[in-house]
Amino acid sequence: MDFLFTEEQTMLRDSVARYLDKTYDFDARQALLRSEAPYSKAAWSQFAELGVLALPFPEDVGGLGGSIADLVPVAEVFGEHLTVEPWAFALALAGGALTAADNHAAARKHLADLISGASIGAFAYDEHRGIATPAQIAMTAAPSGAGFVLNGEKRLVFGATEADFMVVAARTAGQAGDPQGLVLLLVDPRASGITMAPFRTQDGRSAAHVRFDKVSVAGADVLAKDAHDPIAKLISDAILVLAAEVVGAMTALLRITGAYATTRKQFGVAIGTFQTVAHRLADMKIAHAKAYASLMYSTALAEAGRLTARDVSVLKAQVGKMGRSIAEAAVQTHGGVGMTDELSVGHYLKRVLAFEAMFGAPDYHFRKIGGSTSESVR
Amino acid sequence: MNIEFGPELESFRQEVAAFLDTAPTPAIREAGRKTTSVFAPFEQAIAWQKILNTKGWAAPAWPKEYGGTGWSVEQRYIFAEECRKRQLPPLLPNCLQMVGPMLIDLGTEEQKRKHLPLILSGDVYWTQGYSEPNAGSDLASLQCAAVSDGDDYIINGSKIWTTLAHHSNRMFMLVRTDKTGKKQEGITFLLLERTDYPGMEIRPIIGLDGFPEQCEVFFDNVRVPKSGRVGAENDGWSVAKHLLKHERGGSAASPALLHSIARIREAAKATQSPFGGALSDDPVFQRDLGELEADILSYRHFEQLAISGHPMVRDAAYPSMNKTMNSELSQRVSIMMTRVSGIETVPLQLEALTVGSNVAPLGSDFDLIAMPYYLNTRATSIYAGTNEVQRDLIARTVLAANR
Repeated sequence: MDFLFTEEQTMLRDSVARYLDKTYDFDARQALLRSEAPYSKAAWSQFAELGVLALPFPEDVGGLGGSIADLVPVAEVFGEHLTVEPWAFALALAGGALTAADNHAAARKHLADLISGASIGAFAYDEHRGIATPAQIAMTAAPSGAGFVLNGEKRLVFGATEADFMVVAARTAGQAGDPQGLVLLLVDPRASGITMAPFRTQDGRSAAHVRFDKVSVAGADVLAKDAHDPIAKLISDAILVLAAEVVGAMTALLRITGAYATTRKQFGVAIGTFQTVAHRLADMKIAHAKAYASLMYSTALAEAGRLTARDVSVLKAQVGKMGRSIAEAAVQTHGGVGMTDELSVGHYLKRVLAFEAMFGAPDYHFRKIGGSTSESVR
Repeated sequence: MNIEFGPELESFRQEVAAFLDTAPTPAIREAGRKTTSVFAPFEQAIAWQKILNTKGWAAPAWPKEYGGTGWSVEQRYIFAEECRKRQLPPLLPNCLQMVGPMLIDLGTEEQKRKHLPLILSGDVYWTQGYSEPNAGSDLASLQCAAVSDGDDYIINGSKIWTTLAHHSNRMFMLVRTDKTGKKQEGITFLLLERTDYPGMEIRPIIGLDGFPEQCEVFFDNVRVPKSGRVGAENDGWSVAKHLLKHERGGSAASPALLHSIARIREAAKATQSPFGGALSDDPVFQRDLGELEADILSYRHFEQLAISGHPMVRDAAYPSMNKTMNSELSQRVSIMMTRVSGIETVPLQLEALTVGSNVAPLGSDFDLIAMPYYLNTRATSIYAGTNEVQRDLIARTVLAANR
């Protein structure tokens, strides 16, 4: 067994880190958030240049032939820098959905453009208060002639207003709760009948709620039928890389808070000398160690093609729960200044909480784990 | 990354499994089922060690030249995992995991030759004489004194939390040999080759579970030979610190915790929920059990990273993090067990808990051990350095990174 990244993975991670250290410190990020730009186009082209956008895709469309696990070390660095670019949603979800299609000309074209950095894609999945599992999808794609008509609303679609293509998860039959009848459709975000309510997320990303009113989709734009398992795989991939991002954020929080407790003085001494504060730091480090270990183990499982739904639930719930505990402890340790927009700790908190809320909150996953038979110890 | 153990380890696992399926006697298996502490019932733990020793497997972590197995870290983990899966009694840690490895590292050739074979064979049992009534977490303030007299030391004072001392015939201990300087600098490490020296008295302490596991030991002008000293006089603290590494690190604890989760899940199927139906179908129970299991799985991942030699094991906080996680998860498991057993935890069943007893438990085997296990497991966050002390050590590494 080994849980270390290869030399190539490490080199890519280090190049991304060097670039972000130079151009994407906290002040630069604050300036970006205050601008009208949804994300940094310069950073996005640099990610394309470095090969990040090509990493998980097949070589015959210009990809590097890696797997989703190859994005993990880079994602950790993105998390440390709190990047707002929609890489996880464009690559793991929208891009991943394109690869689910067999020999689909339009999908191949979009994929090539995504890899080169020329375009980005959005993935329309969530509805109402969040969807923990694909079977809960309610939005209808009613069969009509050779194609479908979409009606309903998708919530929290990342990068929706900037997207050149959109993949929509909907159902052609059955109702919410039914794993049958799901489909992945390639949709033009500018198609007639689509309206968007754009917003910035609490953690600085660009997203929108997207309404579909009698939107026609051609039969040729089906990327996957019987799509429950393909959608579940995409969500699993997204959870892995977003969890990596959160673990990167946790690493930063532990470092920043340790430094603060060492230098900040009250009652004439560094606050880290108070046992209550010191023990909170210890708990942060323990939480980090657990989340980090589960991330590394899950990454190795994913690389071996052995990551089960139960493993994903463990990763999602643990990183969400540990992330929240670390981020809340970081704000508390910083005291009043931790409450301000000008310090990074609160921004990390918001990043962690967004992850915790998406794709099933910890309670959902804990109950799923508790209610399922444990696998044999190995 | 590579998640696989590899085919040679899978055949090793089968070899281990085949032996473990047949070698333990019924009494040893019963002792495993009735183990409610990190210390298994004494007689059966020793009997099991003797059987393992005939196979050469009593001390997996020792170097081969001293009678160890020469197994890799992965092999040792697999062995521990297979033992836990079968709920076999753990071997008593004082000898094989503590004084043995310490002697291998720091003992004289004569001490090694004299003690290691007997430790391995299970013919001696060493109790640990560290804590005193006024020296627990602050161990260095210990007062039990040894005064030099020719080739001997004369010991006066007392020791407490000497585990299973009433079964012991050897003791390793820390004594004060100098009261003048820094408190850590006047301590000496001694090996006692008897626990029935004139002037030495052992009194068992009844624990919360109703059984004597711990003892108090009193020394009244006890004369012991200086040849039992490990390291130099007044240098015992560094010996003890070395030994603590063996006590805290290198764990394979998650298999036992996961095994407990499986037993809790089984027991919950046979338990009625107050809302009707089986407790195992109760959503709140499922959520809480899932939260605990997920946390144990993260700890398992932490252990797996450690056995793979991940750089995280070189972090000075690693042993303390491991101890804290392990102990607190054990406590949460014990709470979950009592939660499932409900009122079945209330009867006191000392006879039924005794190995070989003809008194049957009032309920299931699970119910029998739930409360004693819960009570004994309170100790895990106290012994081997309280979790408060461990958190101090962990925090130091977070703060030191910034100095």
